[in-house]
Amino acid sequence: MLLQFIINGIIVGSIYSLVSLGFAIVYNTTRIFHIAYAVLYMFCPYMILTFFSNLGIPIFIAFIIAILITVVLSLLMEIIIYRPLAKKNSSLNIIMISSIGIMIIVINTIALFYGNETKILNPDISETFSFGDIIITYIQLAQFVISTIILLIFLAFLKFSKFGIRTRAMRDDDILCSVFGMDIYKMRIILFTLSAIFAAIGGGLVAYDVGMDPYVGMPMLLNAVVALIIGGIGRFEAPIIGGFIIGILQSLSVWAISARWQDAVTFTLLILFLLFRPQGLLGEKKRAV
Amino acid sequence: MINIYIILTTSTNLLVGMTNLLSLGQAALYGIGAYLAVLAMMVLNLSFIPTLIFVIIGTSLLSLLIAYPSLRLRGDYFVLATLGFQLIVFTILYNWVDVTRGPYGIPGIPSPILFGDIVITGIIPYLILSSILAVGVVSLFFKLIYSPFGRALKAVRDDELSAEAIGRNVTALKIWAFVVSSGFIGISGLLYASYVSYIDPTSFNLDEAIFILSAVIIGGTGNIKGPIIGAVFVVILPELLRFVGLPDSVAANLRQIIYGLMIIILMRLRPQGLAGEYALR
Repeated sequence: MLLQFIINGIIVGSIYSLVSLGFAIVYNTTRIFHIAYAVLYMFCPYMILTFFSNLGIPIFIAFIIAILITVVLSLLMEIIIYRPLAKKNSSLNIIMISSIGIMIIVINTIALFYGNETKILNPDISETFSFGDIIITYIQLAQFVISTIILLIFLAFLKFSKFGIRTRAMRDDDILCSVFGMDIYKMRIILFTLSAIFAAIGGGLVAYDVGMDPYVGMPMLLNAVVALIIGGIGRFEAPIIGGFIIGILQSLSVWAISARWQDAVTFTLLILFLLFRPQGLLGEKKRAV
Repeated sequence: MINIYIILTTSTNLLVGMTNLLSLGQAALYGIGAYLAVLAMMVLNLSFIPTLIFVIIGTSLLSLLIAYPSLRLRGDYFVLATLGFQLIVFTILYNWVDVTRGPYGIPGIPSPILFGDIVITGIIPYLILSSILAVGVVSLFFKLIYSPFGRALKAVRDDELSAEAIGRNVTALKIWAFVVSSGFIGISGLLYASYVSYIDPTSFNLDEAIFILSAVIIGGTGNIKGPIIGAVFVVILPELLRFVGLPDSVAANLRQIIYGLMIIILMRLRPQGLAGEYALR
Protein backbone atom coordinates (compact mmCIF):
# COMPACT_ATOMS: atom_id res chain seq x y z
CA MET A 1 0.00 0.00 0.00
CA LEU A 2 2.70 2.45 1.02
CA LEU A 3 4.56 1.82 -2.22
CA GLN A 4 1.41 2.46 -4.23
CA PHE A 5 1.02 5.84 -2.52
CA ILE A 6 4.64 6.71 -3.18
CA ILE A 7 4.28 5.81 -6.87
CA ASN A 8 1.13 7.92 -7.08
CA GLY A 9 3.02 10.73 -5.43
CA ILE A 10 5.81 10.50 -7.98
CA ILE A 11 3.32 10.63 -10.85
CA VAL A 12 1.53 13.64 -9.39
CA GLY A 13 4.91 15.12 -8.60
CA SER A 14 6.01 14.90 -12.22
CA ILE A 15 3.04 17.05 -13.21
CA TYR A 16 3.75 19.51 -10.40
CA SER A 17 7.34 19.70 -11.57
CA LEU A 18 6.29 20.43 -15.12
CA VAL A 19 3.82 23.15 -14.17
CA SER A 20 6.17 24.59 -11.59
CA LEU A 21 9.02 24.74 -14.09
CA GLY A 22 6.78 26.68 -16.46
CA PHE A 23 6.11 29.18 -13.71
CA ALA A 24 9.81 29.33 -12.84
CA ILE A 25 10.78 30.09 -16.45
CA VAL A 26 8.86 33.34 -16.24
CA TYR A 27 9.44 34.12 -12.58
CA ASN A 28 13.18 33.51 -12.48
CA THR A 29 13.91 35.64 -15.50
CA THR A 30 11.38 38.47 -15.44
CA ARG A 31 10.38 38.50 -11.75
CA ILE A 32 6.74 38.62 -12.83
CA PHE A 33 4.63 36.85 -10.25
CA HIS A 34 2.57 35.37 -13.02
CA ILE A 35 -0.68 34.51 -11.24
CA ALA A 36 -2.47 34.44 -14.58
CA TYR A 37 -0.31 31.40 -15.34
CA ALA A 38 -3.03 29.49 -13.49
CA VAL A 39 -5.53 30.20 -16.24
CA LEU A 40 -3.22 28.86 -18.95
CA TYR A 41 -3.30 25.55 -17.13
CA MET A 42 -7.10 25.66 -17.08
CA PHE A 43 -7.52 27.13 -20.57
CA CYS A 44 -5.87 24.32 -22.53
CA PRO A 45 -8.29 21.55 -21.46
CA TYR A 46 -11.23 23.72 -22.48
CA MET A 47 -9.71 24.15 -25.92
CA ILE A 48 -9.22 20.39 -26.13
CA LEU A 49 -12.85 20.03 -25.17
CA THR A 50 -13.89 22.38 -27.97
CA PHE A 51 -11.88 20.67 -30.67
CA PHE A 52 -12.07 17.09 -29.50
CA SER A 53 -15.54 16.65 -28.03
CA ASN A 54 -17.44 19.34 -29.92
CA LEU A 55 -15.75 19.35 -33.32
CA GLY A 56 -14.66 15.72 -33.36
CA ILE A 57 -11.00 16.25 -34.22
CA PRO A 58 -8.77 13.37 -33.05
CA ILE A 59 -7.49 13.85 -29.53
CA PHE A 60 -3.83 14.09 -30.44
CA ILE A 61 -4.32 16.86 -33.01
CA ALA A 62 -6.83 18.60 -30.76
CA PHE A 63 -4.21 18.61 -28.00
CA ILE A 64 -1.66 20.27 -30.25
CA ILE A 65 -4.11 22.90 -31.48
CA ALA A 66 -5.10 23.58 -27.88
CA ILE A 67 -1.47 24.05 -26.87
CA LEU A 68 -0.97 26.52 -29.72
CA ILE A 69 -4.02 28.55 -28.69
CA THR A 70 -2.82 28.57 -25.10
CA VAL A 71 0.52 29.92 -26.29
CA VAL A 72 -1.29 32.69 -28.15
CA LEU A 73 -3.19 33.60 -24.98
CA SER A 74 0.03 33.70 -23.02
CA LEU A 75 1.68 35.95 -25.60
CA LEU A 76 -1.32 38.28 -25.57
CA MET A 77 -0.90 38.63 -21.82
CA GLU A 78 2.76 39.51 -22.26
CA ILE A 79 2.23 41.94 -25.12
CA ILE A 80 -0.91 43.70 -23.95
CA ILE A 81 -0.40 43.72 -20.20
CA TYR A 82 3.09 42.94 -18.98
CA ARG A 83 5.25 44.60 -21.60
CA PRO A 84 3.78 48.12 -21.25
CA LEU A 85 4.05 47.80 -17.48
CA ALA A 86 7.67 46.71 -17.77
CA LYS A 87 8.42 49.63 -20.06
CA LYS A 88 6.88 51.98 -17.51
CA ASN A 89 9.13 50.43 -14.88
CA SER A 90 6.14 49.51 -12.75
CA SER A 91 6.74 47.81 -9.45
CA LEU A 92 6.37 44.08 -9.02
CA ASN A 93 3.27 44.55 -6.85
CA ILE A 94 1.50 46.42 -9.64
CA ILE A 95 2.39 43.72 -12.13
CA MET A 96 1.16 41.05 -9.75
CA ILE A 97 -2.17 42.78 -9.20
CA SER A 98 -2.63 43.22 -12.95
CA SER A 99 -1.97 39.53 -13.24
CA ILE A 100 -4.76 38.83 -10.75
CA GLY A 101 -6.95 41.02 -12.95
CA ILE A 102 -6.16 38.93 -16.02
CA MET A 103 -6.87 35.76 -14.10
CA ILE A 104 -10.29 37.00 -12.97
CA ILE A 105 -11.20 38.01 -16.53
CA VAL A 106 -10.18 34.75 -18.20
CA ILE A 107 -11.71 32.48 -15.55
CA ASN A 108 -15.03 34.25 -15.77
CA THR A 109 -15.05 34.40 -19.56
CA ILE A 110 -14.53 30.64 -19.64
CA ALA A 111 -17.26 30.23 -17.05
CA LEU A 112 -19.59 32.35 -19.15
CA PHE A 113 -19.11 30.19 -22.23
CA TYR A 114 -18.67 26.73 -20.75
CA GLY A 115 -20.47 26.99 -17.42
CA ASN A 116 -19.19 26.61 -13.88
CA GLU A 117 -19.65 22.88 -13.57
CA THR A 118 -17.05 20.17 -13.96
CA LYS A 119 -16.50 18.91 -17.49
CA ILE A 120 -14.80 15.68 -18.45
CA LEU A 121 -12.72 14.96 -21.51
CA ASN A 122 -12.55 11.21 -21.32
CA PRO A 123 -15.85 9.52 -20.43
CA ASP A 124 -14.36 6.00 -20.20
CA ILE A 125 -12.73 4.56 -17.15
CA SER A 126 -9.09 4.37 -18.07
CA GLU A 127 -7.47 1.00 -18.40
CA THR A 128 -4.96 -0.09 -15.86
CA PHE A 129 -2.10 -2.48 -15.64
CA SER A 130 -0.66 -3.90 -12.49
CA PHE A 131 2.89 -4.38 -11.53
CA GLY A 132 2.95 -6.70 -8.59
CA ASP A 133 0.72 -4.97 -6.06
CA ILE A 134 0.88 -1.63 -7.76
CA ILE A 135 -1.88 -0.45 -10.05
CA ILE A 136 -1.26 2.30 -12.57
CA THR A 137 -3.60 3.64 -15.21
CA TYR A 138 -2.32 4.25 -18.70
CA ILE A 139 -3.05 7.94 -18.48
CA GLN A 140 -0.99 8.15 -15.30
CA LEU A 141 1.84 6.43 -17.09
CA ALA A 142 1.49 8.92 -19.95
CA GLN A 143 1.55 11.79 -17.47
CA PHE A 144 4.76 10.55 -15.94
CA VAL A 145 6.54 9.68 -19.16
CA ILE A 146 5.60 12.83 -21.08
CA SER A 147 6.45 15.21 -18.28
CA THR A 148 9.73 13.51 -17.47
CA ILE A 149 10.83 13.59 -21.09
CA ILE A 150 9.95 17.28 -21.41
CA LEU A 151 11.74 18.11 -18.18
CA LEU A 152 14.90 16.32 -19.29
CA ILE A 153 14.89 17.90 -22.75
CA PHE A 154 14.42 21.33 -21.26
CA LEU A 155 17.22 20.93 -18.75
CA ALA A 156 19.62 19.73 -21.44
CA PHE A 157 18.58 22.59 -23.68
CA LEU A 158 19.11 25.07 -20.89
CA LYS A 159 22.56 23.77 -20.17
CA PHE A 160 23.98 23.43 -23.66
CA SER A 161 22.18 25.70 -26.12
CA LYS A 162 22.79 29.37 -26.76
CA PHE A 163 19.22 30.08 -25.74
CA GLY A 164 19.85 28.37 -22.42
CA ILE A 165 22.87 30.52 -21.74
CA ARG A 166 20.85 33.62 -22.53
CA THR A 167 18.05 32.51 -20.22
CA ARG A 168 20.47 32.00 -17.40
CA ALA A 169 22.08 35.34 -18.10
CA MET A 170 18.70 37.01 -17.95
CA ARG A 171 17.98 35.34 -14.65
CA ASP A 172 21.12 36.88 -13.22
CA ASP A 173 20.63 40.42 -14.48
CA ASP A 174 18.23 41.46 -17.20
CA ILE A 175 19.32 45.10 -17.38
CA LEU A 176 22.90 44.04 -17.95
CA CYS A 177 21.69 41.70 -20.69
CA SER A 178 20.02 44.54 -22.53
CA VAL A 179 23.16 46.62 -22.11
CA PHE A 180 25.03 43.88 -23.93
CA GLY A 181 22.60 44.14 -26.80
CA MET A 182 20.29 41.24 -26.11
CA ASP A 183 16.72 41.85 -27.21
CA ILE A 184 14.99 41.39 -23.87
CA TYR A 185 11.48 41.55 -25.28
CA LYS A 186 12.22 38.91 -27.88
CA MET A 187 13.58 36.70 -25.12
CA ARG A 188 10.47 37.31 -23.07
CA ILE A 189 8.31 36.18 -25.99
CA ILE A 190 10.21 32.89 -26.13
CA LEU A 191 10.00 32.46 -22.36
CA PHE A 192 6.27 33.11 -22.25
CA THR A 193 5.77 30.66 -25.12
CA LEU A 194 7.70 27.96 -23.31
CA SER A 195 5.92 28.48 -20.04
CA ALA A 196 2.53 28.36 -21.76
CA ILE A 197 3.48 25.07 -23.41
CA PHE A 198 4.41 23.59 -20.04
CA ALA A 199 1.19 24.75 -18.41
CA ALA A 200 -0.89 23.55 -21.34
CA ILE A 201 0.63 20.07 -21.40
CA GLY A 202 0.26 19.72 -17.63
CA GLY A 203 -3.32 20.97 -17.71
CA GLY A 204 -4.27 18.77 -20.65
CA LEU A 205 -2.81 15.61 -19.16
CA VAL A 206 -4.48 16.10 -15.79
CA ALA A 207 -7.82 17.09 -17.27
CA TYR A 208 -7.84 14.02 -19.49
CA ASP A 209 -7.61 11.98 -16.31
CA VAL A 210 -9.93 13.78 -13.89
CA GLY A 211 -11.79 16.50 -15.83
CA MET A 212 -11.79 20.23 -15.13
CA ASP A 213 -13.80 23.25 -14.06
CA PRO A 214 -12.90 26.94 -14.52
CA TYR A 215 -11.26 27.07 -11.10
CA VAL A 216 -8.72 24.22 -11.33
CA GLY A 217 -5.85 26.58 -12.14
CA MET A 218 -5.44 28.23 -8.78
CA PRO A 219 -4.81 25.15 -6.59
CA MET A 220 -2.35 23.89 -9.18
CA LEU A 221 -0.57 27.25 -9.31
CA LEU A 222 -0.28 27.24 -5.54
CA ASN A 223 1.31 23.81 -5.54
CA ALA A 224 3.64 24.93 -8.31
CA VAL A 225 4.69 28.02 -6.38
CA VAL A 226 5.27 26.02 -3.21
CA ALA A 227 7.36 23.57 -5.23
CA LEU A 228 9.39 26.47 -6.58
CA ILE A 229 10.02 27.93 -3.15
CA ILE A 230 10.89 24.62 -1.54
CA GLY A 231 13.30 23.89 -4.35
CA GLY A 232 14.79 27.35 -4.34
CA ILE A 233 14.04 30.40 -6.45
CA GLY A 234 16.54 31.19 -9.16
CA ARG A 235 17.54 27.67 -10.17
CA PHE A 236 15.78 25.80 -12.91
CA GLU A 237 16.39 22.34 -11.44
CA ALA A 238 14.82 23.45 -8.18
CA PRO A 239 11.11 23.39 -9.06
CA ILE A 240 11.52 19.85 -10.34
CA ILE A 241 12.87 18.59 -7.05
CA GLY A 242 10.28 20.65 -5.17
CA GLY A 243 7.50 19.25 -7.35
CA PHE A 244 8.41 15.65 -6.63
CA ILE A 245 8.78 16.35 -2.90
CA ILE A 246 5.31 17.90 -2.72
CA GLY A 247 3.75 15.17 -4.83
CA ILE A 248 5.11 12.42 -2.63
CA LEU A 249 4.40 14.28 0.59
CA GLN A 250 0.77 14.95 -0.37
CA SER A 251 0.30 11.37 -1.33
CA LEU A 252 1.76 10.23 1.97
CA SER A 253 -0.48 12.61 3.88
CA VAL A 254 -3.46 10.99 2.18
CA TRP A 255 -2.13 7.67 3.39
CA ALA A 256 -1.29 8.79 6.91
CA ILE A 257 -3.99 11.33 7.77
CA SER A 258 -6.69 11.96 5.20
CA ALA A 259 -7.09 13.58 1.80
CA ARG A 260 -8.79 16.58 3.33
CA TRP A 261 -5.63 17.82 5.02
CA GLN A 262 -3.41 17.69 1.91
CA ASP A 263 -3.43 21.43 1.40
CA ALA A 264 -2.78 22.21 5.03
CA VAL A 265 0.28 19.93 4.92
CA THR A 266 1.57 21.65 1.78
CA PHE A 267 1.18 25.13 3.13
CA THR A 268 2.58 24.30 6.53
CA LEU A 269 5.63 23.09 4.65
CA LEU A 270 5.68 26.38 2.71
CA ILE A 271 5.58 28.46 5.87
CA LEU A 272 8.25 26.35 7.54
CA PHE A 273 10.47 26.90 4.53
CA LEU A 274 9.76 30.62 4.39
CA LEU A 275 10.69 30.90 8.04
CA PHE A 276 13.75 28.73 8.28
CA ARG A 277 15.14 28.40 4.79
CA PRO A 278 13.64 31.06 2.51
CA GLN A 279 16.26 30.39 -0.15
CA GLY A 280 14.93 26.86 -0.62
CA LEU A 281 16.80 23.58 -0.75
CA LEU A 282 19.12 24.51 -3.60
CA GLY A 283 19.20 28.28 -3.31
CA GLU A 284 22.15 30.30 -2.20
CA LYS A 285 21.83 32.44 0.84
CA LYS A 286 21.12 36.05 0.07
CA ARG A 287 21.01 38.84 2.55
CA ALA A 288 17.96 40.75 1.38
CA VAL A 289 15.05 38.37 1.09
CA MET B 1 -23.37 44.96 3.36
CA ILE B 2 -21.79 48.28 2.40
CA ASN B 3 -20.98 48.97 6.03
CA ILE B 4 -19.37 45.56 6.45
CA TYR B 5 -17.23 46.13 3.39
CA ILE B 6 -16.32 49.64 4.46
CA ILE B 7 -14.88 48.20 7.66
CA LEU B 8 -13.09 45.50 5.67
CA THR B 9 -11.57 47.81 3.11
CA THR B 10 -10.67 50.53 5.60
CA SER B 11 -8.75 48.09 7.73
CA THR B 12 -7.10 46.49 4.71
CA ASN B 13 -6.08 49.96 3.64
CA LEU B 14 -4.13 50.26 6.87
CA LEU B 15 -1.93 47.50 5.49
CA VAL B 16 -1.91 48.20 1.78
CA GLY B 17 -2.14 51.95 1.69
CA MET B 18 -0.35 52.90 4.86
CA THR B 19 2.32 50.25 5.13
CA ASN B 20 2.67 48.93 1.58
CA LEU B 21 1.92 45.36 2.61
CA LEU B 22 -0.22 43.40 0.19
CA SER B 23 -2.04 40.76 2.17
CA LEU B 24 -3.99 37.94 0.62
CA GLY B 25 -5.00 36.66 4.04
CA GLN B 26 -7.73 39.17 4.82
CA ALA B 27 -10.59 36.75 4.23
CA ALA B 28 -9.05 34.34 6.73
CA LEU B 29 -9.17 37.01 9.41
CA TYR B 30 -12.69 37.94 8.37
CA GLY B 31 -13.61 34.28 8.81
CA ILE B 32 -11.85 34.02 12.13
CA GLY B 33 -13.82 37.06 13.28
CA ALA B 34 -17.10 35.51 12.18
CA TYR B 35 -16.43 32.14 13.79
CA LEU B 36 -15.22 33.77 17.01
CA ALA B 37 -18.41 35.83 17.08
CA VAL B 38 -20.45 32.66 16.77
CA LEU B 39 -18.44 31.08 19.54
CA ALA B 40 -19.06 34.05 21.81
CA MET B 41 -22.76 34.39 21.05
CA MET B 42 -23.88 30.78 20.81
CA VAL B 43 -21.56 28.92 23.16
CA LEU B 44 -20.63 31.53 25.73
CA ASN B 45 -24.01 33.35 25.45
CA LEU B 46 -22.48 36.79 25.60
CA SER B 47 -24.46 39.87 24.62
CA PHE B 48 -23.32 42.21 21.86
CA ILE B 49 -20.80 44.51 23.54
CA PRO B 50 -18.81 41.72 25.26
CA THR B 51 -18.94 39.74 21.99
CA LEU B 52 -17.54 42.73 20.15
CA ILE B 53 -14.68 43.05 22.61
CA PHE B 54 -14.07 39.30 22.59
CA VAL B 55 -13.95 39.23 18.78
CA ILE B 56 -11.62 42.20 18.49
CA ILE B 57 -9.18 40.83 21.03
CA GLY B 58 -9.44 37.26 19.74
CA THR B 59 -8.88 38.17 16.11
CA SER B 60 -5.97 40.43 16.99
CA LEU B 61 -4.29 37.72 19.05
CA LEU B 62 -4.75 35.09 16.35
CA SER B 63 -3.50 37.53 13.72
CA LEU B 64 -0.32 37.85 15.75
CA LEU B 65 0.32 34.20 14.90
CA ILE B 66 0.13 35.10 11.24
CA ALA B 67 1.88 38.46 11.51
CA TYR B 68 4.95 37.40 13.39
CA PRO B 69 6.31 34.82 10.93
CA SER B 70 5.14 36.48 7.72
CA LEU B 71 6.31 39.99 8.50
CA ARG B 72 9.87 38.85 8.73
CA LEU B 73 9.60 38.39 4.97
CA ARG B 74 9.39 41.01 2.27
CA GLY B 75 7.68 41.63 -1.03
CA ASP B 76 6.53 38.53 -2.88
CA TYR B 77 7.41 36.32 0.03
CA PHE B 78 5.10 38.22 2.36
CA VAL B 79 2.23 37.91 -0.11
CA LEU B 80 2.92 34.20 -0.37
CA ALA B 81 3.04 33.70 3.36
CA THR B 82 -0.32 35.42 3.83
CA LEU B 83 -1.66 33.33 0.97
CA GLY B 84 -0.43 30.21 2.75
CA PHE B 85 -2.15 31.22 5.97
CA GLN B 86 -5.32 32.03 4.09
CA LEU B 87 -5.41 28.49 2.73
CA ILE B 88 -4.49 26.88 6.05
CA VAL B 89 -7.22 28.77 7.90
CA PHE B 90 -9.72 27.86 5.21
CA THR B 91 -8.74 24.19 5.39
CA ILE B 92 -9.10 24.23 9.17
CA LEU B 93 -12.52 25.91 9.04
CA TYR B 94 -13.59 23.49 6.35
CA ASN B 95 -12.28 20.24 7.77
CA TRP B 96 -12.40 20.55 11.53
CA VAL B 97 -15.98 19.39 11.47
CA ASP B 98 -16.30 18.79 15.22
CA VAL B 99 -15.85 22.45 15.98
CA THR B 100 -16.87 24.41 12.91
CA ARG B 101 -19.32 21.97 11.35
CA GLY B 102 -17.14 22.26 8.25
CA PRO B 103 -18.94 22.54 4.94
CA TYR B 104 -22.38 22.32 6.59
CA GLY B 105 -21.91 25.76 8.10
CA ILE B 106 -23.49 27.09 11.26
CA PRO B 107 -27.14 28.12 10.95
CA GLY B 108 -29.36 30.05 13.32
CA ILE B 109 -26.93 32.64 14.59
CA PRO B 110 -28.90 34.91 16.95
CA SER B 111 -29.39 38.59 16.34
CA PRO B 112 -27.23 40.91 18.39
CA ILE B 113 -28.61 41.83 21.81
CA LEU B 114 -27.72 45.27 23.13
CA PHE B 115 -27.81 46.36 26.78
CA GLY B 116 -29.57 43.30 28.08
CA ASP B 117 -32.93 43.54 26.37
CA ILE B 118 -32.82 45.42 23.06
CA VAL B 119 -32.72 42.85 20.27
CA ILE B 120 -31.52 44.12 16.91
CA THR B 121 -33.64 42.50 14.24
CA GLY B 122 -34.81 43.65 10.85
CA ILE B 123 -33.06 45.76 8.30
CA ILE B 124 -33.39 49.26 9.72
CA PRO B 125 -32.07 48.68 13.28
CA TYR B 126 -29.33 46.58 11.79
CA LEU B 127 -28.44 49.33 9.37
CA ILE B 128 -28.14 51.75 12.26
CA LEU B 129 -25.97 49.38 14.28
CA SER B 130 -23.61 48.63 11.43
CA SER B 131 -23.41 52.28 10.45
CA ILE B 132 -22.42 53.21 13.98
CA LEU B 133 -19.67 50.61 13.91
CA ALA B 134 -18.50 51.60 10.43
CA VAL B 135 -18.39 55.26 11.36
CA GLY B 136 -16.56 54.29 14.53
CA VAL B 137 -13.93 52.33 12.61
CA VAL B 138 -13.49 55.01 9.97
CA SER B 139 -13.10 57.78 12.56
CA LEU B 140 -10.63 55.67 14.52
CA PHE B 141 -8.74 55.18 11.31
CA PHE B 142 -8.86 58.93 10.73
CA LYS B 143 -7.32 59.54 14.14
CA LEU B 144 -4.77 56.82 13.48
CA ILE B 145 -3.53 58.38 10.25
CA TYR B 146 -2.65 61.63 11.96
CA SER B 147 -1.27 60.07 15.11
CA PRO B 148 2.46 59.53 15.59
CA PHE B 149 1.81 55.84 14.90
CA GLY B 150 0.17 56.61 11.55
CA ARG B 151 2.98 58.91 10.53
CA ALA B 152 5.54 56.32 11.48
CA LEU B 153 3.71 53.78 9.31
CA LYS B 154 3.74 56.17 6.37
CA ALA B 155 7.44 56.65 6.89
CA VAL B 156 7.93 52.89 6.74
CA ARG B 157 5.87 52.75 3.59
CA ASP B 158 7.71 55.52 1.83
CA ASP B 159 11.21 54.57 2.79
CA GLU B 160 11.80 51.60 5.00
CA LEU B 161 15.52 52.11 5.26
CA SER B 162 15.31 55.74 6.35
CA ALA B 163 12.61 54.94 8.87
CA GLU B 164 14.87 52.34 10.34
CA ALA B 165 17.81 54.71 10.26
CA ILE B 166 16.02 57.27 12.42
CA GLY B 167 15.36 54.66 15.03
CA ARG B 168 11.95 53.19 14.20
CA ASN B 169 11.51 49.49 14.76
CA VAL B 170 10.11 48.70 11.33
CA THR B 171 9.10 45.10 12.01
CA ALA B 172 7.32 46.03 15.23
CA LEU B 173 5.44 48.80 13.45
CA LYS B 174 4.33 46.44 10.70
CA ILE B 175 3.21 43.85 13.20
CA TRP B 176 1.19 46.50 15.03
CA ALA B 177 -0.41 47.64 11.79
CA PHE B 178 -1.31 44.05 10.97
CA VAL B 179 -2.77 43.37 14.41
CA VAL B 180 -4.80 46.58 14.57
CA SER B 181 -6.17 46.02 11.09
CA SER B 182 -7.07 42.45 12.00
CA GLY B 183 -8.98 43.61 15.05
CA PHE B 184 -11.09 45.83 12.81
CA ILE B 185 -11.62 43.02 10.35
CA GLY B 186 -12.88 40.91 13.23
CA ILE B 187 -15.69 43.44 13.69
CA SER B 188 -16.83 42.97 10.12
CA GLY B 189 -16.77 39.21 10.64
CA LEU B 190 -19.05 39.64 13.63
CA LEU B 191 -21.42 41.90 11.69
CA TYR B 192 -21.54 39.46 8.78
CA ALA B 193 -22.27 36.46 10.99
CA SER B 194 -25.11 38.13 12.83
CA TYR B 195 -26.53 39.76 9.71
CA VAL B 196 -26.66 36.67 7.51
CA SER B 197 -27.31 34.42 10.54
CA TYR B 198 -25.58 31.56 8.77
CA ILE B 199 -21.89 31.09 8.04
CA ASP B 200 -19.90 28.49 6.21
CA PRO B 201 -16.23 28.44 5.23
CA THR B 202 -16.80 29.21 1.55
CA SER B 203 -17.64 32.81 2.45
CA PHE B 204 -14.05 33.20 3.60
CA ASN B 205 -12.02 31.57 0.84
CA LEU B 206 -9.25 32.85 -1.37
CA ASP B 207 -11.69 34.41 -3.82
CA GLU B 208 -13.05 36.53 -1.02
CA ALA B 209 -9.50 37.57 -0.09
CA ILE B 210 -8.82 38.62 -3.67
CA PHE B 211 -12.17 40.39 -3.73
CA ILE B 212 -11.37 42.43 -0.62
CA LEU B 213 -7.97 43.35 -1.97
CA SER B 214 -9.40 44.41 -5.32
CA ALA B 215 -12.08 46.51 -3.61
CA VAL B 216 -9.33 48.40 -1.83
CA ILE B 217 -7.30 48.77 -5.01
CA ILE B 218 -10.25 49.91 -7.11
CA GLY B 219 -11.27 52.48 -4.52
CA GLY B 220 -7.84 53.76 -3.81
CA THR B 221 -5.27 53.48 -1.07
CA GLY B 222 -3.62 55.69 1.48
CA ASN B 223 -6.50 57.90 2.58
CA ILE B 224 -9.97 57.65 4.04
CA LYS B 225 -12.31 58.11 1.11
CA GLY B 226 -10.59 55.65 -1.23
CA PRO B 227 -11.51 52.41 0.54
CA ILE B 228 -15.02 53.69 1.24
CA ILE B 229 -15.58 54.39 -2.44
CA GLY B 230 -14.15 50.97 -3.26
CA ALA B 231 -16.51 49.24 -0.83
CA VAL B 232 -19.55 51.14 -2.10
CA PHE B 233 -18.59 50.36 -5.66
CA VAL B 234 -18.11 46.61 -5.27
CA VAL B 235 -21.35 46.23 -3.32
CA ILE B 236 -23.47 48.41 -5.60
CA LEU B 237 -22.21 47.11 -8.94
CA PRO B 238 -24.06 43.76 -8.68
CA GLU B 239 -27.26 45.61 -7.85
CA LEU B 240 -26.75 47.85 -10.87
CA LEU B 241 -26.23 44.83 -13.11
CA ARG B 242 -29.42 43.29 -11.77
CA PHE B 243 -31.15 46.56 -12.57
CA VAL B 244 -29.97 46.30 -16.17
CA GLY B 245 -31.82 42.99 -16.25
CA LEU B 246 -29.15 40.39 -16.91
CA PRO B 247 -29.87 36.84 -15.77
CA ASP B 248 -28.16 36.01 -12.47
CA SER B 249 -25.80 33.39 -13.84
CA VAL B 250 -24.37 35.73 -16.46
CA ALA B 251 -24.33 38.71 -14.11
CA ALA B 252 -22.10 36.99 -11.56
CA ASN B 253 -19.40 36.25 -14.10
CA LEU B 254 -19.81 39.56 -15.86
CA ARG B 255 -19.37 41.40 -12.59
CA GLN B 256 -16.08 39.62 -12.00
CA ILE B 257 -14.94 40.45 -15.52
CA ILE B 258 -15.67 44.12 -14.86
CA TYR B 259 -13.61 44.01 -11.65
CA GLY B 260 -10.76 42.35 -13.51
CA LEU B 261 -10.82 44.93 -16.28
CA MET B 262 -10.96 47.77 -13.79
CA ILE B 263 -7.98 46.43 -11.88
CA ILE B 264 -5.89 46.15 -15.02
CA ILE B 265 -6.84 49.57 -16.36
CA LEU B 266 -6.31 51.24 -13.01
CA MET B 267 -2.93 49.59 -12.52
CA ARG B 268 -1.86 50.85 -15.91
CA LEU B 269 -3.18 54.38 -15.74
CA ARG B 270 -3.85 55.24 -12.15
CA PRO B 271 -2.10 52.97 -9.67
CA GLN B 272 -3.47 54.91 -6.72
CA GLY B 273 -7.04 53.81 -7.49
CA LEU B 274 -10.15 55.90 -8.11
CA ALA B 275 -9.76 58.19 -5.12
CA GLY B 276 -6.55 57.23 -3.44
CA GLU B 277 -3.53 59.32 -2.77
CA TYR B 278 -0.83 56.71 -2.52
CA ALA B 279 0.28 54.84 -5.63
CA LEU B 280 1.18 51.23 -4.97
CA ARG B 281 4.77 50.34 -5.35
